[in-house]
Formats: sequence, structure tokens, C-alpha cells
Amino acid sequence: MRPVIELENLEVVLGTRTILKGLHGSLRGRAIGLLGPNGAGKSTLINTLLGFHAPSSGTARLFGRDIRTDIQSLRRLIGYMPENDSFIGDMSGVRFVRYMAELAGLPPNEAMERAHEAFFYVGLGEARYRDLNGYSLGMKQLAKLAQAIAHGPKLLFLDEPTNGLDPPARARMINLIREIRGTEDMHIVLSSHLLRDVEECCDEVLILKDGCIAALSNLEEERKTNKKFLELETAGADPAFTTTLEQLACECASFGNGKLRLILPEGIRIQQIYAAAAENGVQIRRMNYRRDSLEDIFLKAMQPAVGAAANGSL
Amino acid sequence: MAHATDRLIVFENVSKFYGDVLGVNRINLTIGPGVTSLVGPNGSGKTTLMNLMTGLIWPTKGYCRVLGLTAHDPERFFRVVGYCTQFDSFAKGLTGREFIYDSLRLYGLNAQEATVRTNESLERVNMMDAADRKVAAYSKGMRQRVRLAQSISHHPKVLVLDEPLNGLDPMARAESMALFSALGKEGLHVVISSHILHEVDRISDQVILLNSGYVVAEGQIHGVRDEVKEHPMQIMVRCSNPGLLAAKLFAQDHIVEAKIHDDRKGLLARTRDADRFYSLLHQIVLEGELEIDAVAPADDDVNSVYRYLIGSEGATV
Amino acid sequence: MAVYKRNYKPYSGELTANWTRFLILPRYSLAKIFDSKLLVGFLVVCLIPFLVSATLIYLSGNPAVRTLLGMQGANFIGINNTFFYYLLRFQSSLAFLITAWIGPGLVSPDLTNNALPLYLCRPFSRTEYVLGKISVLFFLLSLITWIPDIFLFLLQAELEGNGWLIANLPIARAIVLGSLLWITVISLLALALSAWVKWRIAASGLMFAIFFVAAGFGEAFNAVLRTYWGHTINLVYVMNLIWADLFGVPMNISINRRMMDDPRTMTLPLGFAWLVLIGVCGVCLLLLNRRLQAKEVIR
Repeated sequence: MRPVIELENLEVVLGTRTILKGLHGSLRGRAIGLLGPNGAGKSTLINTLLGFHAPSSGTARLFGRDIRTDIQSLRRLIGYMPENDSFIGDMSGVRFVRYMAELAGLPPNEAMERAHEAFFYVGLGEARYRDLNGYSLGMKQLAKLAQAIAHGPKLLFLDEPTNGLDPPARARMINLIREIRGTEDMHIVLSSHLLRDVEECCDEVLILKDGCIAALSNLEEERKTNKKFLELETAGADPAFTTTLEQLACECASFGNGKLRLILPEGIRIQQIYAAAAENGVQIRRMNYRRDSLEDIFLKAMQPAVGAAANGSL
Repeated sequence: MAHATDRLIVFENVSKFYGDVLGVNRINLTIGPGVTSLVGPNGSGKTTLMNLMTGLIWPTKGYCRVLGLTAHDPERFFRVVGYCTQFDSFAKGLTGREFIYDSLRLYGLNAQEATVRTNESLERVNMMDAADRKVAAYSKGMRQRVRLAQSISHHPKVLVLDEPLNGLDPMARAESMALFSALGKEGLHVVISSHILHEVDRISDQVILLNSGYVVAEGQIHGVRDEVKEHPMQIMVRCSNPGLLAAKLFAQDHIVEAKIHDDRKGLLARTRDADRFYSLLHQIVLEGELEIDAVAPADDDVNSVYRYLIGSEGATV
Repeated sequence: MAVYKRNYKPYSGELTANWTRFLILPRYSLAKIFDSKLLVGFLVVCLIPFLVSATLIYLSGNPAVRTLLGMQGANFIGINNTFFYYLLRFQSSLAFLITAWIGPGLVSPDLTNNALPLYLCRPFSRTEYVLGKISVLFFLLSLITWIPDIFLFLLQAELEGNGWLIANLPIARAIVLGSLLWITVISLLALALSAWVKWRIAASGLMFAIFFVAAGFGEAFNAVLRTYWGHTINLVYVMNLIWADLFGVPMNISINRRMMDDPRTMTLPLGFAWLVLIGVCGVCLLLLNRRLQAKEVIR
């Protein structure tokens, strides 16, 4: 599959500081998560790809086209949902989204139709006719998403889309993102501090640290189940249980509250674990093999690299 | 002799109206030491409750006492309470350090003590390096940390935090949660309001659910979950032969529903008695007819309780 | 029978031409402006000078009508460069009022809530943005300055006949150029203020200040230092000077009529007046350039 975003030694200097230090890599995922500590350069990367900052050296390509030369025509294919409040207060929701769609090049009639479609899609009903000034935070987020998709872009930049949303609204936003991701020919770049959001939506992850790439991984491949590690939550666990397990040649670590982590030897079966539990009058309430989660990938990436190249690409 | 209420935050029949608009209505709550999470949709009254707790507003009716004190006694009250709001505003031109130092001086500390405490709280939130830059130049996460530092700098006994993790990167989130947990163990009353339920779930001792100005539920999360009897416990089992498992489950009277996963490699069971379910599962595994891969309760957390009790109201407008 | 599910679909239909994009801005702004009954009323009032002038021109060209109305004497108001000069001066103050009213509301709503990144992440440049906004003012102000004035010019030419048109072409040129100059200066000023001052009333007040308070200071400067360079910051004076030159009318020195022999009755050099206007426009463009950025970088 052709890469969506290609970074070619991208360097960006703002003022006197070098924010992005020669990023190099290519991203192909349907939904690409962008993670990193504060100050790592996530916003700067997004702003550069949008054409707000000019690279000081190197370049980047979107859909194979160079952002240094083609950015104006590329913008037609891009949708952007900023992190901060971004709207025109004295316009109604529909008017605003229509306006933005026309500015992206849609003829007025099409813009009107797609604006309403976008509102229907994100789930804003009657409120679309009210002035944006009176919108609640959740509604503003949905309006921001509506303006980002109304002109039918192929690449969506979502910056903290679930910011400030209460749990049901957050769940809906995540579902929306997954639906959009499922559309053919659509790509999303999701920048978020919430690892869980990224984990639920993204299939590829770019982790930045100090302006360099700390990790670039395909989540599907990384999320391998590791059959060696087993996590248990029990009721009634006591040292006797641990002893029994160790007699089965398992390594056992106890975390209090009945939580246990086991390293299983070769050839052992779950049935034996349950037998051990029955022997000791312990009830197993949760049991699963350990999977490398995004949190592990992230923490690993944050550790100081020992002799790693500045690019840190795969 | 210290009264029991001297260690509690008490709301006694509290109502707050802003003209016609409802803030909270007939709240009765007792909050003890440790970490309490305040959960609810936007507009449910969380901010009102927090403003009442920190003495910024008076209740229209009823009493609110924090450790036996009210804002009628500002000298003592405001020393005891620390508030980290969700609003991202600062006086212009201040550096992070100045912001905390100035507020400490307002508490009456002398210059030396204020400096010591400023440094201490900046250390605790990892902002020592950036403390002398202007707040206007900070990123969102840095501003959040400075606000946090300010709220703990005067060593309050009650710490009220409104969306304290907003804008923080994953590591800062983990560090802050560890900090709140530690403060809770030190005996502070830490009240956290957050929308990221799985995070607060991990460190909270108590949870308070609000909706439309009323308290919908409060207490320990497992206890609350147990009380929601209209929604039987959901437990997920991944196994090789879900059909067989389902057949065995349906023979039991406490099983309400079994739904097989799309990939036919597991099922989701609903039971009125989790205990008996687990015992049954044990038995089945020991009999050797089934290989199971994973077992997990699917809705024993704040997220699910929220969904059941509050649902998706305040949603599509 | 079918069940329809509405999913997101990218857009692959036709697009509008790139160069017409900036016109989207005035279309929306004007729609909003014409919603305000007060403003529309004021615009109509601004056309009264046009009506009055048209009547005067008609009367001037028709002695028979004058006699009918009982007006004595062969002398009536002369429709010449002086006439159009004073007409433009009057209309320009109305234009100023309109700009002070509408101008501050053009750019500030976009900046108040950070909408500019949304403009600029589309195939839309800052230049197009400024062009779009300024064209709102150009359109409205032209409606009340040179467009009606050219009509009057043509009306007079029609009534006079006999090559009056050719002989007085310089007046037409003065009307158009003078109006456009004034429109450019106050529009740019209004946009720059709108971009820098958040509160609309403050921005309007600032516009008045720049013209009238500065004029006051200029005069005080002149009085104290016994010179005429104070006129540099008096934009009204500067504009009058240029118009007087364009129309070929002697500079009205009624401002300081009392001091006929005073060096202050000497006027500012014309070239210098042009420099002042160009300078003001340049400063405004610089201010706009500084403020209209997608992302501000704070040190």
C-alpha cells in the first residue's frame, strides 16, 4: 500500500529552537496515532504537514506529493480538527460548516448538502441552527469534526478529539473515528495523550520524543499475545496457593488484592492452574495472557535510547 | 475531642440554584479521607459541588462543612482547602514560579518559607526546569502542572481537582495519578473530577456519580456495582467451544444471557450471581471438556456503572 | 426494499475555480451586513447627497425649471470640479462612519475564537483572506462614493452636451482615484485595527481617535512650534490636500483662516502627503501580516 505520509529528513526550526530534528520514515496505516510527551514536537509536526510552518531542511510527502511545492493543492484533500477552540462565534453551526466547505473548493450547493450530511453523521441535530457561541464543549467538538469532514478530505488530522468530552460523548467520538477509518481511501492521523483512545482507533503508531522519532510501529503486529505470561485476579489467594503454583514450576509475583502474575513453564496447561486453585480454595475471577499493550510500547520508547541514531526509525 | 465530622466533608441537604438554573438539588454526601472520584456528564453539577466545597459559592439551602469548617471562617477554611480548577487562565506576565510564590505570600507566609514551599511543589510536579519561563510560553500540560503545584503548595488537607489530567502526556498522567494516590494515602481528602473513567477507577477509593444535579450513586465502586441489580454482571470467557459452554451455562438458574462472540471463539455471559458463575467455570475447566483462554468481568468498573445509571443522556442535541 | 445506511464518503465532485475563492468572504459578510436594518437604513441615508446633487445638477442644467420654481437670477451653482470636490469630501466622511461601524467586525470574529487556522488549512492564502475582507468595504464604500458620483458626472455631461465630457475628463479621473485612495486607506486601517483590537467598540473608537485626536495633536504641534509639519499626522488634512490637487481646486485654508500671513498657512508638500498615505497603508499591511498567522510562536 502506498504510504500516506513520508518524512524525508524533515527538520523544522521555530525561532531559535530546532523542534523537529531530521524525521525520517513512512506511514501507511489507515489510522495513525501520534504520541509523545509534551514538547516532543507533535503539534509542530502536524502544523508543518498542514503547511503552517516551512521546513528548514528536508521535506515531507503526503500521498506522494511534496509539501514544499504542492501544499496548496494538497490542502484540498486534508481535514483538520484543531485541539483548541476554533470557530466563528456569530455564525450558526450549519452556516459555519458550509462556509468552511466552500472555502475548501466545494460549489455552494454541494457545500450546503455536505454540511448537513456532516452534521447528521456526527450526531448534531437541531443544534446546528444555533449560534456557535451558545454551544457546549461537546457540541463544539462535534462541530469541529463536522467542518473537518464536510469537504470530503482523504486525510484527517485530529488533534485531541475527545478533549473535554464526557464518557458517552467520548465513546461516540471513538466510534465515529472508527467508522471513518473504515471508509475506503480514508486516512486519519490521531494525536492524543490518551493511550486508550489511540489503542482503540489506530493501527499504526508514531511516537516522538525531543523532536526525534522514538518509535514507529504497526500495532497489529506488536500486539502479539505472549503465551508465557499469565495474569490472574483471585478471591481468597494466600501464600499456600503461591507455593502450589511454584511447585508446578511457575514463577509467581503477587501484587496484593489477589492479583498475581505468572511466568509459565513449557507444556503447562490452564487446567493445572485451575486445579491448583481448587486445591487451595481459591476462586479465579480473571485470567488472561499478557499482551504487549500500547502502554508497554510507549514506555519502552520513552526510555533513554542507548546509542540509538537520531532518526530512530525502524 | 475531635468530632467525627472534623475528618469529613459533609453536604447536608444542599441545593444550589443560579437564578432559575439548577446547579445541584438536595445533595446529601459524606466524603472521607482518601481519593474520591466525582463523575458525571457535563452540566451535572460537578463544578457546582466543587465550588461549594472550596467555599467559592454559598449553597442556596443546606450546609456544607469541610472538616468542620465553613467559608464563614475564611482564615482557617481557605488554608485547609486547595483547588485546581479546569480553567486555564493566568495573570499576564507571570512566570510559573512567581505564580506559586505570590499565592503563597497571600496565605501569609514570609518570603523564605514561601520560596521553600514553592520549590517543593515545583519539584513534586516536575516543573523546576521551566519554572522561570513565562506562563504564556508554556504548553497546555505545563500550565496544568503549574496549577496543580499551586493547589498543593500550601499543604491543604482537602484537595479538589477539576479535570487535573487535561493536556498531560501519558507519563505525566501516570505521575500525577501516583501523586494523587500518595496524597490520598497520606490522609488528605482528594476529590478528583474526570471524564477519563478508567484512570480514576484505578486509584479511587470512593466514587460519586452525578447526573442533572442529583447524586445518582456513591460509595466503593464494587459495592455500587453490586447494587445495580437491574443489570446482571457481565463476564467474558474466551474458549475453544463456546457453544458447549453456553449449553452448560443455560442449565444454571442464575444465568440470564449468553452471547457468543462474532469470531465464535468466546462468549459474553450475564449472571445474577458472579460467585456461582466462577465456581461453575472452575468445575468445567477441571472436568477437562473445555480449554479456556481468558476470563474477565466485563462491566465491573466505573465506565459500566456510568453507562447503566446515567446512560448517554446529555448526548445528541 | 432497502435499508440505507449513511456513511462518510470522500468528495470527488467538481471544485470551484481557485481565483474566485476570495469572493466567498464578501458574499457571507455582506449577507450578514445586509441583515442589519440599521445599517441598510444608514446606507440609504448615505445616498441622500447623491439625490440632492442630482437635483442640483438638473436644476443647473435647466433654467426653464428654475424660472418655474421662482428662482431668480441666471447664476446658479456651477457644476464644476469644485462641486465634485466638495461632494466627495462630504461622502468620504459618511464612508468613514460606515467603515468605523463595519470594519472592526470583519476580522476580529475570526481571531477571537481562533478560526484562522481553519481558513489556512484549506487551499486559501492570507492574501486571499485580506482581499476578501477588504472587498467588503470596497464594495460598500464604492456604492456611496465614486459609483453615484460617476453617474452624476454622466448626468451633467448629458445635460451640458457639447463636449463637456471630454473637456472635464480630469474630474472623472479625480473622482475615481480620489475615492479609491480614501477607500484603500480607511479600509486597511479598519482591518488592521480589527485584527489587533479584540473589542469592536474599542476598535471603532480607535479609528475615530486616529483621525480626530491625531488631527488635534497635529494642530497643537503646529501652533506650538509655529510650523506646518504637524499636518503629517492629520490624515484628513493630507487627504484633502491630495484631493484638492486631483480636482485642481485651491487648497482650502479655512482651517487657519485667521492667520493669513502665518507660515502655517503654507501647505505640506504634495509629494510628502502621498508619502504619508503610502506609509499608513504600508504600516497597516505590516500589522496585518504580523497578526494573521496560523500559528503564533511564543518564545
